Amino acid sequence: MKKCHITFQLNGSLREILVDPNQTLVRMLREDLGLTGTKNGCGEGDCGSCTVLLDDEPINSCLVLAAQVDGHKVTTIEGLADGDKLHPLQTSFIENGAIQCGFCTPGMILSAKALLEQQPNPSELDIRTAISGNLCRCTGYQKIVESIKAAANNCQGES
Amino acid sequence: MIMQKFDYQAPADLKEACQIMANYGDKAKLLAGGTDLLIALKKNRISPSQVVALDQVDEIKGLWSDDDGIYLGARTTAAEIADSDFGAAGQALAEAAAQVGSPLVRNLATVGGNLVTAMPAADMAPPLLVMQAGVVLEKLGDNREIALDDFFVGPGEQVMLPEEIMSLIFLPELPSGSGSAFEKLGVRKALERSIVSVAALITLADDGKTIQEARIALGAVAPTPMLAATAGAGLCGKKATKKNFSAAAKTTAQEARPRGLRTSAVYSRLMVEQLTMRALTRAYAAASR
Ligand SMILES: Cc1cc2nc3c(=O)[nH]c(=O)nc-3n(C[C@H](O)[C@H](O)[C@H](O)COP(=O)(O)OP(=O)(O)OC[C@H]3O[C@@H](n4cnc5c(N)ncnc54)[C@H](O)[C@@H]3O)c2cc1C
Ligand code: FES
Ligand code: FES
Repeated sequence: MKKCHITFQLNGSLREILVDPNQTLVRMLREDLGLTGTKNGCGEGDCGSCTVLLDDEPINSCLVLAAQVDGHKVTTIEGLADGDKLHPLQTSFIENGAIQCGFCTPGMILSAKALLEQQPNPSELDIRTAISGNLCRCTGYQKIVESIKAAANNCQGES
Repeated sequence: MIMQKFDYQAPADLKEACQIMANYGDKAKLLAGGTDLLIALKKNRISPSQVVALDQVDEIKGLWSDDDGIYLGARTTAAEIADSDFGAAGQALAEAAAQVGSPLVRNLATVGGNLVTAMPAADMAPPLLVMQAGVVLEKLGDNREIALDDFFVGPGEQVMLPEEIMSLIFLPELPSGSGSAFEKLGVRKALERSIVSVAALITLADDGKTIQEARIALGAVAPTPMLAATAGAGLCGKKATKKNFSAAAKTTAQEARPRGLRTSAVYSRLMVEQLTMRALTRAYAAASR
């Protein structure tokens, strides 16, 4: 099994790494690069806890080989804060009580980020559709939806 | 986690991909969106020595058209198809693509992968069947086009040779006055394989009332996605009325061949009838626009 030499943009900086061909993106992020914000849940595309942005689109990183991100751009939850300043969605999730155990949170926030970039003023249905690939076993979703709505309103207020 | 060991290749274009497939044959597996393939690898259902990623083969991604019809690259994702405008005649395809898995899955899943996997429940198959799609299969120095209706063989089986690559799906130009619609039943709205899916296409004659042509296709209720040919043909020359649609829906339910695996065969047929009625009604509305 020949290792793959890949170069890609991770959270804004260029990374070069040797990976095994059978390594998945989620495991490379967590195990080879130590970015454990991305969670490894079902491994089958069903739970969304492994959500990352690949070229700004949210995807299941358990269904992508690490080698496939060669030449591409990957954003994980660690890439959202600006130094000590949290991303508005992160702040909103905290303030609105949308985090209980937190396992789904990185994925939820990344799916929401992709939505708000395409649709700064989403309806409740838009929000629920955007997070429909992200399961939460704790919150019942209501506070997550409210947090995303609130973050959208805040961002609108700023611009 | 993937326990299996394999080498990874990412050919730069279709020709190089065909070359690799010619060299390795059934020892190689193509990787498009990976939403089926990675799971098959994780579950040890397949054990290729080579995984050949199509990521860089841009010739087979995207949509373009000429006087004959629309060409859909096999690597086009469900998300891209859901966001594309296929007109009233192709509306069923965009609707089906919008219901595949979840937004996360749709950003990966390709139409080529959906067809090649050949699940009976493949959501993009019924709309493509009613649109009379053809698929182009390439191998080194050769290619062939076959009708999608002749493509599927059984659950997980189609007519492709191990070294063949699906490059394009061709959608012939449909007559004006055509409209289509897709209906899917799952236990919930997202992340759900279809229990029953139905696509319908209606072409109206110039009077806007007489059905010139109609086709109905089903997913998840037979060993392969299938056309309900008798029901479709039965509508030709008839008026687009609720009564005629209802009779066609009944015939469609009889044509379905549910295996009673996920739900009872009786329930499947009942749902085929309901969904066909809805699909015909919406296809007619689209055709009248
Ligand atoms: C959580 C989840 C939910 C899902 N929900 C749905 C759903 O609602 N409806 C539905 O229809 N499907 C669903 N699927 C199944 C899957 O997403 C689709 O079948 C998808 O379209 C497969 O495409 P892919 O590009 O990911 O294929 P891949 O996994 O890359 O490939 C699938 C197979 O096709 C072969 N292949 C791929 N492209 C080509 C090509 N161009 N030429 C030759 N061979 C090729 C591969 O070798 C492999 O054998 C779901 C999957 C997951 C994980
Ligand atoms: S771990 Fe990827 S979807 Fe569950
Ligand atoms: S907060 Fe626990 S899974 Fe969502």
